[in-house]
Amino acid sequence: MTIHRPTIDRPMPAGQVGRSVPRLEARQKVTGRADYVHNLVVPRMLYCKVVRSTVPHGRILSIDTSAAEALEGVYRVVTADDIRTVVPNPFYGPAFHDQPVLAVEKVRHVGEPVVAVLAEDPYVAAEAAQLVTVEYEPMEAVFDEIEAMTSTAVVHEVLKPAGTFPDLKHLVGRRDTNIALDYRLRRGDVDAAFAAADHVFAHEFKTQQVMHTPLEPMVSLAEPGEDTLTIHTASQSPSFVRIEIARLLGWPENRVRVKVPHLGGGFGAKLYIKLEALVACLALLVRRPVKWSLTMEEQFYTITKHASTFRIESAVDKEGRVTGRRCEVFWNGGAYADIGPRVTQKSGFTAPGPYDIDNVSIDSYALYTNRPPAGALRGFGIPQLVWAYESHTDLIARGLGLDPVAFRRKNLLRDGRPQATGTPVRDAAIEGVLDDIAARMAWETPFDRGSGPVKRGRGIAVGFKASIAPTTSVAIVNVAADGSANLYLSTVDMGQGSDTAMAQIVAETLTLRTEDVKVVHPDTDVTPYDMATLGSRSTFHAGNAVKLAAEHARDQIAALAASLGLPPGSNYAPADLFKKKYGMQAGNIIGVGTYIPEYKSPAPETGLSDNVTPFWMVGGTGVEIEVDTETGHVRILRMVNACDLGRPLNPKIVETQISGAALMQLGFTMFENMDLDDGQVTNASLADYKIPGMHDVPDQMESVITEAEQKSGPYGAKGVGESATFGVSPAIANAIHDAVGVRLTEMPLTPQAVFRALREAELNSSTTSA
Amino acid sequence: MRGFELVHPGSLADAIGLLDTDDDTVRPFSGGTALMLMMKTGVFRPSRLVHLGRIGDAYSEITASPAGGLRIGAMATLSALEHSPEVIRVAPVVARAMTRLANVRVRNVACVGGNLAHGDPHMDLPPVLAALGGSVSVAGPQGTRDVAVEKLFSGYYETVLGRGELITDVVLPSQRGWSSAYLKCTTRSADDWPALGVAVSLRIEGGAISEARVVVSAATEILTRLTTAESALTGAAADESTFARACEAAAAEAEMVEDARGSADYKTQLLRVYLRRALTQAVQDGAVS
Repeated sequence: MTIHRPTIDRPMPAGQVGRSVPRLEARQKVTGRADYVHNLVVPRMLYCKVVRSTVPHGRILSIDTSAAEALEGVYRVVTADDIRTVVPNPFYGPAFHDQPVLAVEKVRHVGEPVVAVLAEDPYVAAEAAQLVTVEYEPMEAVFDEIEAMTSTAVVHEVLKPAGTFPDLKHLVGRRDTNIALDYRLRRGDVDAAFAAADHVFAHEFKTQQVMHTPLEPMVSLAEPGEDTLTIHTASQSPSFVRIEIARLLGWPENRVRVKVPHLGGGFGAKLYIKLEALVACLALLVRRPVKWSLTMEEQFYTITKHASTFRIESAVDKEGRVTGRRCEVFWNGGAYADIGPRVTQKSGFTAPGPYDIDNVSIDSYALYTNRPPAGALRGFGIPQLVWAYESHTDLIARGLGLDPVAFRRKNLLRDGRPQATGTPVRDAAIEGVLDDIAARMAWETPFDRGSGPVKRGRGIAVGFKASIAPTTSVAIVNVAADGSANLYLSTVDMGQGSDTAMAQIVAETLTLRTEDVKVVHPDTDVTPYDMATLGSRSTFHAGNAVKLAAEHARDQIAALAASLGLPPGSNYAPADLFKKKYGMQAGNIIGVGTYIPEYKSPAPETGLSDNVTPFWMVGGTGVEIEVDTETGHVRILRMVNACDLGRPLNPKIVETQISGAALMQLGFTMFENMDLDDGQVTNASLADYKIPGMHDVPDQMESVITEAEQKSGPYGAKGVGESATFGVSPAIANAIHDAVGVRLTEMPLTPQAVFRALREAELNSSTTSA
Repeated sequence: MRGFELVHPGSLADAIGLLDTDDDTVRPFSGGTALMLMMKTGVFRPSRLVHLGRIGDAYSEITASPAGGLRIGAMATLSALEHSPEVIRVAPVVARAMTRLANVRVRNVACVGGNLAHGDPHMDLPPVLAALGGSVSVAGPQGTRDVAVEKLFSGYYETVLGRGELITDVVLPSQRGWSSAYLKCTTRSADDWPALGVAVSLRIEGGAISEARVVVSAATEILTRLTTAESALTGAAADESTFARACEAAAAEAEMVEDARGSADYKTQLLRVYLRRALTQAVQDGAVS
């Protein structure tokens, strides 16, 4: 394996932004000194273990806790009735208030928490959990997203959207449906475009349910105070946890304190409420600290990535221009909505892809099923969409006998042109990303197609994503009397390197060394609001807030200098100013920055808006592969991932974000798959659910930072955590088609699937020739 | 799982004595790599584990016999096999198979005896040892006996080992003149459990195959010798057309099991391809001298 590193640091004037500063926490992590909730123990703490549903859909007839309660060392066994003494209406969720803290009256997926057992010894709690018996009356279940559209099995009797989202209001009180959200977009005259088309192409693509697999499983610990509650949690969204727990308890926000140290990976799994609601209720119920740590197996029943079906249809004129596109996307959200409806809408509106198409219709449906819930996972639905529209794009090019890159160039969205929503695309290097990949792969030159049973092929794909909007970030920069600075921020460094990047922004603005800026980890009693660490929003949103806070501090330092009679532009150190002002090393300067970008909500009927996102992320992938036609095995010889991330704050971290995202998507593309049998995950362990290892890394991997600038971003930067996931799946499917002439439309692209397709193609051609 | 008792017998006889019980929550423990997975998932809840690490160094020795065979102590680790000069000289196919078996951390603690006695059909070592004509020495309350590796397995995670019986050694007959190869195939990540393992051992004299052993594992419920494939090879020239006939015979003979790694039909195709490649590789690598 070789990893091509073209890094050229392009530092800003103070030499901090644009420099590949080594991660601030790297030494702590490799020496085992970094803090994780996993290692946290507090006095009088109880461990929680939950009893989980064994049926996908059923009414709870009875719960017998007597044997568990009788086990020596068990402190208490808790059911939903007990939870209700703390929280009368114990339902939570970011989009819908549909998820019970413990199952109430019925269960909606295998693995749903039904009973909680508390003990001082976690092994006693685990053993006691096995002794609880729950009797269910099985109900008809639905697992497939297409069947859920019309099935008689209904997961939730009535929809309960949270009040916070205007586009969910029409769903309040809707009954007997599994459609949690029906998002639509209509632009131009699609029917007319299809009627006038020279060619029409229609395809259906599917993706499978997979899991984030953070190597640190979810963990939360709640400590009750006199009239307060402190929650230590491995969460990507401490501010949301505080607000939602306060809502559940009916408390003011300031009585709930949420603290987050380091995370062992998040990828969208640790967002919103996961374990926090139950540990909060338990801690208040028994007035003792309660810790709940999931096993790897339990994570498969907690949050996953949406399986999906995407029907896409294009009208193309005789010049090879796409004139109309119909998109129907069905998202398998599982038993609880979590953030699924946001995926359906926020990602749904980019379903036609980064192409300039005048006539577009999109219908995107969030569906309840009796599978484990699905939510955000690195890419927030975009990889499912790009998988479909870039496979489709390739098929159109092949159908018309056009080069796939040339066909894309003809149809790409260019600067200033309106995207499907009507929002003009700005600062989005879609063509730059495509050009960079094509140039790296020498697309115009002849390609070795292999010999014998091993055939070679290459493929390319490009996708884009709108940032989640409108969201707010607040930052505080505290300059101490010796001139050193602390940054107070609720952005969570879950391994992506945000602490380092944010410290670089402070250092650049205040002319400090990045290594001298201390980042205070999220503690909602101390650090200000940040919507959440998700959707690649932190660099842009939190980064802008941090820059504003640092500028605010810088301006106050200048004002202090002026108040001390120093002429503007004179050379002084902040420490001297403090000493001059206060007569000794004393005082602080506090800079505060709040950032919320402008945004216009899409019109409910048409889905249109002229300002739907503050920025666009662009990512593309090119691969060269070989296919063993005797077995269907695909080997990736070379993978090029290019992204538009504006100007890189820290080029080296950016490159690892690019390669990491691409490898994660590689696993989802090639083999990761939650095997379900009647709603039960039959491979819920690292022994049986395989994620990529070192031997799965392509022989040659290249991470490319496409030349770009996000003018509204901090120092020209924007997010990149997800961008390299976009193109991976379709690039590989396109390369397989290129190598052996078969098209796979369902992920994962297993050797067996490739082999079957080859065999079918062989049979078809022999039938045709006969 | 709450507590269990861990005992450390100081001799083989003591270990056998401790294991001579009908209580199936009492089990031997050597490297523990497989047992710990079962304990963590709650599949196995022991009352007592009998640790074999202190029964004596003799049980982890690897010695070459003057005749060209090998004796491997059951407590030898897989990395000891991987790096042993005797193994590399006498049975290079064994050392090569180790490099893609699990990972270095597992190989450093997992032991040969446990690897066999676990009875998991997805293991790499059993088919290799079976193809080499290996047998195990077994000691138990009734004394000792020898069992051919190919006869050791009686079902999925089941062996013919009786109450209180322990594998003490693996014995390989002379490998001189034998050409051997082992190939495995994964269908998910590269480090997944194999979808198929195929081991071959051929004696080629004057361009013709005089003896052949073909063993398939992972795709079948238990490790299986493919005798019709062996018949197709025996007495025939070691060439492509013979191999093709043997592969078709193997495909017709082996009873494949469908699982998450592939359908039975697909695994049959893998066997066709991988057996041919294994035979070709064995010929290419040449005979042990």
